[in-house]
Amino acid sequence: MSGANISGERSVGWVRSWSLVWQFARQHIGAYTFAGGVIASAEIFQVQIPQVIGEFTNALKRGDSVAMLSVDVFELVGFAMLYVGLFGFGQFFIGRLGRLFEADLRRQLYAHWQTLSPQFFQERSVGDLLSHAINDVPAVRESLSGTTIQVVQSVFLIAATLYMTLRHVSPRLTLVSLSPLLLIPVIVAVMSPLVRQRAQRVKESLSDMSAFAEESLGAVRLIKATANEPTMIRRFTQQVDVIVDRTMAAVQTNTLLQAILPFVSNISFVVALVYGGWLVITHVISLGAFVAFTLYLRLLVNPLTQLGQVTNTLQTASASLIRIQSLLDTQPTVKDAPDAVGRVEGHTISIRHLSFRYPDRKVNALTDVSIEIPTGYLVGLVGRTGAGKSTLLRLLIREFEPPRGKIWIGGHDVRQIALPTLRGELVSYISQSSFLFSTTMGQNIGFPLVDPNPRVVETAAKRAQLWDLAEQLPHHLDTVIGERGVLLSGGQRQRTALARALSQTRARILILDDAMSAVDTETESAIVAMLEELRGDRTILVASHRIAAVQTADLILVFDHGEIIEAGTHESLLHEQGFYARLAQIQSPCEEGLPL
Amino acid sequence: MMPKQATSSTVTPTTPFVRLYSYTRAHRRTLLGVLGLMALYNATVVVRPYLIKVAIDQDLLRPHPHLSDLIEIGAIYLGASIIGPLANFGQNWFLQSVGQTIVRRIRLDLFAHLLNLPMRFFDEHSTGRLITNVVNDTTRVSQFFTNFLLSVGRDGLTIVLVMGAMVVMDWRLALVSFAVVPVVLGVAVLFRGQLRRSYERTRSELSRLIGNVAENLSGMGVIQAFAQEPKQQAGFDSRNQAYLAANVIQFRWAVLFNRSFDLLGNLAVALMMWAGSGAVLDRTLPFGVLYAFITYIQQFFRPINTITQQWNTLQSALVSANRIGQILVTPSNMLEPAHPVEVSYDSKGHPISSGQVVLEHVGFGYDPDTKILRDVSMTIPAGAFVGVVGETGAGKSTLIGMIARFYDVTEGAVRIDGTDVRLYRQCDIHRIVTVVQQEVNLFTGTVADNIRLFRQDISWTQVKSAAQLAGAHGFIRRLPQGYRTRLSPHGSNLSLGQRQLLAFARAIVLEARVLILDEATANLDSETEQLVQASLAQISQGRTTIVIAHRLSTIRRADCIYVMAEGRVVESGSHDTLMARHGTYARLVQAHVGSHHGDFQHFPDWENHSGNPLKETPMPLSGHPHPWKTGGSA
Repeated sequence: MSGANISGERSVGWVRSWSLVWQFARQHIGAYTFAGGVIASAEIFQVQIPQVIGEFTNALKRGDSVAMLSVDVFELVGFAMLYVGLFGFGQFFIGRLGRLFEADLRRQLYAHWQTLSPQFFQERSVGDLLSHAINDVPAVRESLSGTTIQVVQSVFLIAATLYMTLRHVSPRLTLVSLSPLLLIPVIVAVMSPLVRQRAQRVKESLSDMSAFAEESLGAVRLIKATANEPTMIRRFTQQVDVIVDRTMAAVQTNTLLQAILPFVSNISFVVALVYGGWLVITHVISLGAFVAFTLYLRLLVNPLTQLGQVTNTLQTASASLIRIQSLLDTQPTVKDAPDAVGRVEGHTISIRHLSFRYPDRKVNALTDVSIEIPTGYLVGLVGRTGAGKSTLLRLLIREFEPPRGKIWIGGHDVRQIALPTLRGELVSYISQSSFLFSTTMGQNIGFPLVDPNPRVVETAAKRAQLWDLAEQLPHHLDTVIGERGVLLSGGQRQRTALARALSQTRARILILDDAMSAVDTETESAIVAMLEELRGDRTILVASHRIAAVQTADLILVFDHGEIIEAGTHESLLHEQGFYARLAQIQSPCEEGLPL
Repeated sequence: MMPKQATSSTVTPTTPFVRLYSYTRAHRRTLLGVLGLMALYNATVVVRPYLIKVAIDQDLLRPHPHLSDLIEIGAIYLGASIIGPLANFGQNWFLQSVGQTIVRRIRLDLFAHLLNLPMRFFDEHSTGRLITNVVNDTTRVSQFFTNFLLSVGRDGLTIVLVMGAMVVMDWRLALVSFAVVPVVLGVAVLFRGQLRRSYERTRSELSRLIGNVAENLSGMGVIQAFAQEPKQQAGFDSRNQAYLAANVIQFRWAVLFNRSFDLLGNLAVALMMWAGSGAVLDRTLPFGVLYAFITYIQQFFRPINTITQQWNTLQSALVSANRIGQILVTPSNMLEPAHPVEVSYDSKGHPISSGQVVLEHVGFGYDPDTKILRDVSMTIPAGAFVGVVGETGAGKSTLIGMIARFYDVTEGAVRIDGTDVRLYRQCDIHRIVTVVQQEVNLFTGTVADNIRLFRQDISWTQVKSAAQLAGAHGFIRRLPQGYRTRLSPHGSNLSLGQRQLLAFARAIVLEARVLILDEATANLDSETEQLVQASLAQISQGRTTIVIAHRLSTIRRADCIYVMAEGRVVESGSHDTLMARHGTYARLVQAHVGSHHGDFQHFPDWENHSGNPLKETPMPLSGHPHPWKTGGSA
């Protein structure tokens, strides 16, 4: 667990963590009662079976006719079928409910993640979040279906068995020979956490070895180049020895438990044999009752073992629930106001005295930024990394929530514009990272559209200078890219991301946040020319490190330390002889100097 | 001299299985003991119903029973109850310990073997595959001992002994009850197939679901930027539902299977009652025997079930054993010379060598038709600083492989101190020549351990002075725990430049005589760039340094620059000489200065890397769909 959520985990209490489960259980209270009833009645039939065998024994001893005896046989078959059918049904019913709960919980978790802001995903690794969906959710389900079935079955089976033995066999025999069996749940409850713990430690050591193998085989060239094989083998030996030690420790507890449990139940059996035998000899109970009793003893071992495991399972589930609940408790930092606007006319951008600081930082990312951007403007943003360009652009689409009344689009405070309108219709944003999904190139380009029109996708691809590449791919735009598909170069990825943003044709504001850093200069010029052409009344904001990308802009904003220090056109800024002019000089051809 | 061709398809004297079987040989006695304990354990299992039978027939049904006999039987029963679990514990423990010992040995041998295999092997096999061999395949082989042998031995014995006891007590009733065995076996096999298929479907649905979530989490920025949450939620929902459906089907099969076994167990008891009652009434069968049969017949079920499970264990263990065996029989010592030259080491354990490197008409190709290097000759005097430049595919990296002898030349020879590199032992040559690669591998461990590569013979002071010499001391001191700061291979806690300096410190601490440096292609920020250059100047003192250069500033002051194109050396000389020649080198220099606006110090697009001087060096958070899997930077 990362440190970030420790405080969050503590805030979720044990009781509240179970509310997720209670909620579901309450909703399905009828179904659970029904299934519980089915299992209970199944147990009533199950405990008839030893009784039938006992009666059969007595009938044999009496010398009843074969026909009479076959009644017992049929009775047994009948009870067995009723028990198996009912128990199987109840078990499946509850197990299915548990799986429904699991799917529902996972859906909730995912839906919640979608509402959370980038900040959250910066703090938590994907692997960490995934482990909740993979491990914690099924652990909770296990408690809800597995444990429910076990508890219901065990309780009713034990109760029914006790009823039968006390009533039909002998109360004294029951009490005397059952007492050792009562140790079983205690032993299991004490030992099973240890078993779990040790199994966990074996798993950890295996994954340590796996990680070690990965990093050393990945660095095999280095190891060879430094003749470091002996050291690596020495370290690997240590890893493997840890596995052996931990495995044997786990084997120890496992086999010990496997030895103790049969031993305890056999003690019960010895008592039953001697004391029960004595009762038969002295004619206190019948031989049939003795036979039935030995069968009842055997029936009890499993439910008692299961009862012992219940606390352990619940503890595991509880830890998982707390983790899940604390995730669900994380509040999204950006969300729609209740009176959010769903329609925006016009798209002038107006920024008034905007200052902004990231939640965990001490220094402002933006300080007192004011700017009016009329519609149809091509605006360039330049400055060093961390100067505030990207922050401003990200605030425009509310990746982080800007202060109230500071950023206006089309006469509305962006905080009042509904997110689907702002991000889905008004603004098209291309970030530096150019993340692509492992779908086809066409699906990636059409991503912003609910039902992508092939023509729109094609046009967007052409505009982003992607068409030539697409033509070369094995299935053109239908080629799967990323993960298991064709790997694209950095520039190609960025152009695909650009095409994706361009396919959102309704967008009135287009933002390129350093989105062409890996694109070569020629293509970049072609793209800038395309943007010029495409512009119309669209407003285009381009943040770049390269002067060439913004040279033709109507307005260039120069950022430094969170402030706009210069603003104007390329010519006017060159004339000013300030920061921009120096930057332009450094970046001009045939000139050596140091990068910023 | 032509070295032996290195191919993994070489016919070897031992087959994979024979190779693995040899591991069990040392443990034959223990395994025999385990078999004995299994028999003992099973004897106690079989004897217990028999004791009840004796009690019923000889004491309970007698007109004048003796309580003392009953107590005697109870005492024997108690004895069996103590010996049984003990024997069970023993056989489990010894079998597991044999299995673990064998798997430990296999893992160590496999790992050591892998590390000693020639570089070419790693070109032909993916690292992921090899990790699977070391981790999963060995685990499956261990399951052969802990699951398969245990089940077949113990459960197989149970079935045999129970059958034996039945025949001894009453052969006619025994024959009737044996009819149950094929039925149980049939049902188990039938369900086993269904269970496996439904399990595999569930698992593949799960991995698709996980893949979907992982990708969406990584691309959450894009999803939110285009307000496509509903679309992605719908995609997630359909995967989630598919997994739910598969999961429920799997559970249904599991329930059906378990309950069918339950029912069969009870039907088997009914069969015994029906078949035995006539004989009991005729007094030809004592009732106790019928009781014992009712108990015995239920003991068929669990062993038969577990044995059917083992078929899969056996298969996967065999496949894994074969894969491991394949690697183990790949010869690893092909690069070791039959009569190696002796290299002397000084008192500090550093190799004594001048560091003179000569390449004589070196040619190389992975296969005979495509030559990567042709007729390359270089004479690099001891202590010289040499640069190698050229476009991607010119053969620069291959050259490293020749000098460090990761690969053998196919023509000509590489000589160090006048001796052909093929005559050095692998461990010696790599003490003399070391390579600093483009990508700096980090290991999980402290900074200090990363510098000394976990060698115990390198002291703390040596590490520090090496870091100081490499110019890494400054940034290391600023790390949260200094030299004790923990690094990880995936973590981005060090910038590219810092990694580079760390690699230099490694090279210094190893005291190699010849240092080959494959310069990092990506840009460093100006401050780090200066540090790296200064550090390079520092470490090239007193040793032969060959730099595969990607930056003009690095090689400007080189004693000699070799310009490579299409596997040949096309020009050589100092920077000034080469510039004056107006040849390939001069063109390269001009091209890069002219075309890229900002990337002064960097040659043009040689490695297809984007040059962006303004970008900070720490690795950006990658937008990779499966970031927990990725090794390098995006």
